[in-house]
Amino acid sequence: MSEVESRIGSVTFDRDVSRRNFLKTAAWAGAALSAAGIGGFGVAVRKAHAVHEGYAAAGPVAIVQLAYQLELLEGTFYAEGVNTGLFNDYAVTQLAAIRDHEMAHADALAGILGELGAAVPATPNFTFPEGTFGDAVTFLGIAATLEPVGIGAYQGAAPALIGSEYLSPALSIHNAECMHWNAIKILQGVVPPNNVAFEEALPLEEVQAAAAPFGLG
Amino acid sequence: MDNQVINVPGAETLARPQSRKNFLKSLAVAGAGATAAAAIIPSKANAQYAGAAADLEIANFALTLEYLESEFYAQGLQAGILSSNSLPIVEATLDHENQHVEALIGLITEAGGTPVAKPEFMFGDALTSESAFLNTSATLEITGVGAYLGAAPMISGPAVLAAAGSIVGVEGEHVVAINSLLGVVPPANMAFPEALSQDVVLEAIAPFLGGAMPETGGPSDPGTARAL
Repeated sequence: MSEVESRIGSVTFDRDVSRRNFLKTAAWAGAALSAAGIGGFGVAVRKAHAVHEGYAAAGPVAIVQLAYQLELLEGTFYAEGVNTGLFNDYAVTQLAAIRDHEMAHADALAGILGELGAAVPATPNFTFPEGTFGDAVTFLGIAATLEPVGIGAYQGAAPALIGSEYLSPALSIHNAECMHWNAIKILQGVVPPNNVAFEEALPLEEVQAAAAPFGLG
Repeated sequence: MDNQVINVPGAETLARPQSRKNFLKSLAVAGAGATAAAAIIPSKANAQYAGAAADLEIANFALTLEYLESEFYAQGLQAGILSSNSLPIVEATLDHENQHVEALIGLITEAGGTPVAKPEFMFGDALTSESAFLNTSATLEITGVGAYLGAAPMISGPAVLAAAGSIVGVEGEHVVAINSLLGVVPPANMAFPEALSQDVVLEAIAPFLGGAMPETGGPSDPGTARAL
């Protein structure tokens, strides 16, 4: 684990505290994940087949509005994480890049909403689980929870965007989120960090359920 | 720390390289010009055979790329050039590419198509050192991401698009894992991974194919292609 700590940086571990926080986070993240239907990663491609139905019913405006808010949530989360002082230069460089990507995604999505003649939602009052910004392990655990929700949302929505000019931006952003997830796993010391053969799409209602504890929706 | 300056592209820019005409230029299929209409979800009437045949060609092109990656990682592992840092990442990547190959073969077969045969690949100097191997890997992975992103807007079948989305994200993960081995900081450094035209993809993979054009496969009779 020495590599993990060197990647994460300036954390001085109070082992008991960080373990307790980690378990608390893990339990919380587990609940969110199971609400989101994530868990068995032996995912067949085929499983994604009908996931898009909820997104199709919601329509492109609702999809983009949700995506916009998810990006703001992530951007806010990483912005606060960068400022905690918990991380070394390597980690800060990565987390700051991710923060900037998320904010750029939000800008792009706001632009799409403008093109659609739809309202850009107000920034929600985001809430984060207690201890989120208290230590690096907890923060990264939450990050590793959030990224697959974003991935699952874009991927689940994609088949509902067939024939739409918004499919391309959705998949480009989806890919950036997959890259982020890998980067977070690297910071967590997961070996190998590329540990899924197929990304998992999530139905709309599961994305909403996973995002709700953060004050979204 | 300096903030990265990111130009936020509009939807139009992101979609630019992917005109169906360009992508299928070298893959002439009668009636392939038919696309799903502007409707968000194509109706059953829109899921035409021509669209299904074009989907099969895209899936077969993807299969060729996955074969290329799979063979590259298999040979890299056999070459005995990899450090203990690289091994777990490369082994996992090989496993993923093999699973992608199987998934695409299943998809193509289910749709009534014929999966292309695995081409002969040549990797030359890319297998002579770890650094050469990882740099080639980085090129292959980002090319794979760009190929799927470029092809996606031309896909008309939800199942094909769902498979493409599931696979392309994993290729994106590979990009970052390989970047980390190359010492790129930060390894996740793209806000908007780029779509590539098929010409650009072909140019990138040509050295590994000895200049040969990949087969496009597809159904023996376009009328047998089934929409997925």
